[in-house]
Amino acid sequence: CSLSKNKFTNNAYTLERPIKTTMLDALNKVTACYRHLVIALGSTSDSQNLREELKKTRKKAQELAVANRTKLTSLLKDKNISKDDRAEYERLWVLFTSSVELLEVDMKRSLEIGQDFPLKVPTRHLIQTGMTGSTTTVAARAMSVQNMKYEADANIDTVDLKELETEIAQVDQMMEEMEMKVQVAPWAVEAKQEAGAELKSTVSVGNSSVGVISICEEEPKETVEGETGLMKVFAGVIFTAVLLIAGILGYLVINL
Amino acid sequence: MTINTLSQDGVQRQQMPCLTKMERMIISMQDPDMGIKLRNQRLLITVIPHAMTGLDIVEWLIKKCSISDEEALHVGQLFVKYGYIYPLKEPRNLILKADDSSYRFQTPYYWMSTRWPASELDYAIYLAKKNIRKQGELIEYEKECYNALHKRINHTWDFVVMQAREQLRASKQRRKGDRIVLECQEQAYWLVNRPPVSPEHYKLTTLTKNTIAMLTPWCSLKYIGVSNLNGSYVKYCEQYQPHDPIMQGCLPSNPWITDDIMFWNMNSETYMFIVALPTKLRVERWSFSFMELLNDQMGRKEFLTYLEKEFSAENLCFWQACEDVRHGETAKIPEKVDEVYKQFLAPGASRWVNIDSKTMEKTLEGLKRPHRFVLDDAQMHIYFLMKKDSYPRYLKSELYKNLLARAIVPQETKKSVFPFMRRQRHSSPSPALATQTAEDDGKAKYSNSNSGTASRL
Repeated sequence: CSLSKNKFTNNAYTLERPIKTTMLDALNKVTACYRHLVIALGSTSDSQNLREELKKTRKKAQELAVANRTKLTSLLKDKNISKDDRAEYERLWVLFTSSVELLEVDMKRSLEIGQDFPLKVPTRHLIQTGMTGSTTTVAARAMSVQNMKYEADANIDTVDLKELETEIAQVDQMMEEMEMKVQVAPWAVEAKQEAGAELKSTVSVGNSSVGVISICEEEPKETVEGETGLMKVFAGVIFTAVLLIAGILGYLVINL
Repeated sequence: MTINTLSQDGVQRQQMPCLTKMERMIISMQDPDMGIKLRNQRLLITVIPHAMTGLDIVEWLIKKCSISDEEALHVGQLFVKYGYIYPLKEPRNLILKADDSSYRFQTPYYWMSTRWPASELDYAIYLAKKNIRKQGELIEYEKECYNALHKRINHTWDFVVMQAREQLRASKQRRKGDRIVLECQEQAYWLVNRPPVSPEHYKLTTLTKNTIAMLTPWCSLKYIGVSNLNGSYVKYCEQYQPHDPIMQGCLPSNPWITDDIMFWNMNSETYMFIVALPTKLRVERWSFSFMELLNDQMGRKEFLTYLEKEFSAENLCFWQACEDVRHGETAKIPEKVDEVYKQFLAPGASRWVNIDSKTMEKTLEGLKRPHRFVLDDAQMHIYFLMKKDSYPRYLKSELYKNLLARAIVPQETKKSVFPFMRRQRHSSPSPALATQTAEDDGKAKYSNSNSGTASRL
């Protein structure tokens, strides 16, 4: 979260803002995880567990959306806020609406794909995409828990779809209401981030993924360059260690 | 409100039938018994399953659909082109090779869909993710797209950055092989939906830009000579400009400004107020077109006088009678048409008009069932007769020329000595300005506000 808190220290609302952005951050996180899960639908990563994960993540996302909406609408409806504050809240509003739109699209798509790829059939025709691992860690991240618990019935794939339809209608309605009640011109909002701001992130995406890219690029060899370096060093270290130990043992055996 | 409005109506759209068919084929390829044989892709440490060779695909298609080699290759190409299958070795080269080059299936979320077209926001998020992963080393084309998107959807850029970071964190949770597949999938999706532009294309766009730059000065020429419409429109504007009260001002003064209705009285159309002498502008206007002459009551009267001298007044009378039928009450139409017939069309009528036999037959036929437009053909014939024959002669006639010589040019109303009493000849540039000044000054005098506006000109 890159919001500067210095500007508004004298403002009565300073205390509330940190809370708000954590809710917004949480919504953002859950939206990203939900998208990740929907991508796995219909593929070989799909399973009863995935459907349950989707359901839980979705519900969490909706809770967060409603909470954010209430907070933001009450803030924006207040006439006594300064211009700067208003601009900031409008920016947060645009963040919020973009998140909800993404969520809505993903919900609709998950309905479509869920219907096309039922699980409780004699022969499943899931697309063999090469993804075989489970998505449980992603869902755990979304729900902010350590481990996911699975307690759904076997026919979740059909039952859940009906619930999903009603939830989509609810989200649609919520968005319409939002559009009506809150008069924010999204195009008038100025983003705080510059182009390339993501490069200044403190998030280390991990060394391994840097090397992974070379596989998808136009390189004739199917080797993983960054990986190779690391593994080579590691293997070298172990090899020399084993050699040393073997040498020492041999020396001891010979001498004793 | 949204940039994703397309996807909001996505549910109402239908998936293109060809895409539905392709989807069904892809699903049938997954069949454990009858589907395509899949192998493992071996990377240095990781093994990723579900890879197939181009040859496998082509052979399966031949077997399944009983088609020839060529056709199977073509169908396979379509799968790759539309992104249902993507190549692993050369991802940017979206073609199917019937050899041992490997391919993999695309996940349903990334299938081509007319219901869910690829959105700009998603593309921006993808580019931001790539930017992070590659530490800013995007290829030329992607850099351009990135900058263009940054400009276009600037208001949600914060969201783009936040979402890109979160999506990367989410994918870090997966194991290695899956992460590789995810990245390849997403890349393949965007290569299909936002194909990179080749350098030749860049040359072409610069060529186009130069051509446009060269041709632009030509567009601003007044008489291109290409379009007659252009020329005649310019001519029309030039001709009517002196007559336009806004452009040229009107003599003696604009009634809307000065509250002096002299202008209307002098140019009145109603028969009641027929003035002795018309204004020069008015008489000049009669020479622009026949319709102008006929539309002006005074002009019509003058023309009638002229025709009486030429013994062809019945034409104009007939024309007027037809106009009356056309624009009059529906209940009186049969009666009027009958009158017209008796006066103008019947053989041996007192004011018989000279219409050609074909039109006469048609009209007489139509008279059995009279309606508003039954006399249209005859009227048109007489109209053109007058226009081609009588009208030009009228304009050259003594009658017209005399009238033109005698026509008056009204005096502009005298400007008062006192500035605040001055009447302006030109109308104010914008009524909004006039009302604004009136509001600003409260209940200022009308003349005051006008002089105020004039001083701004």
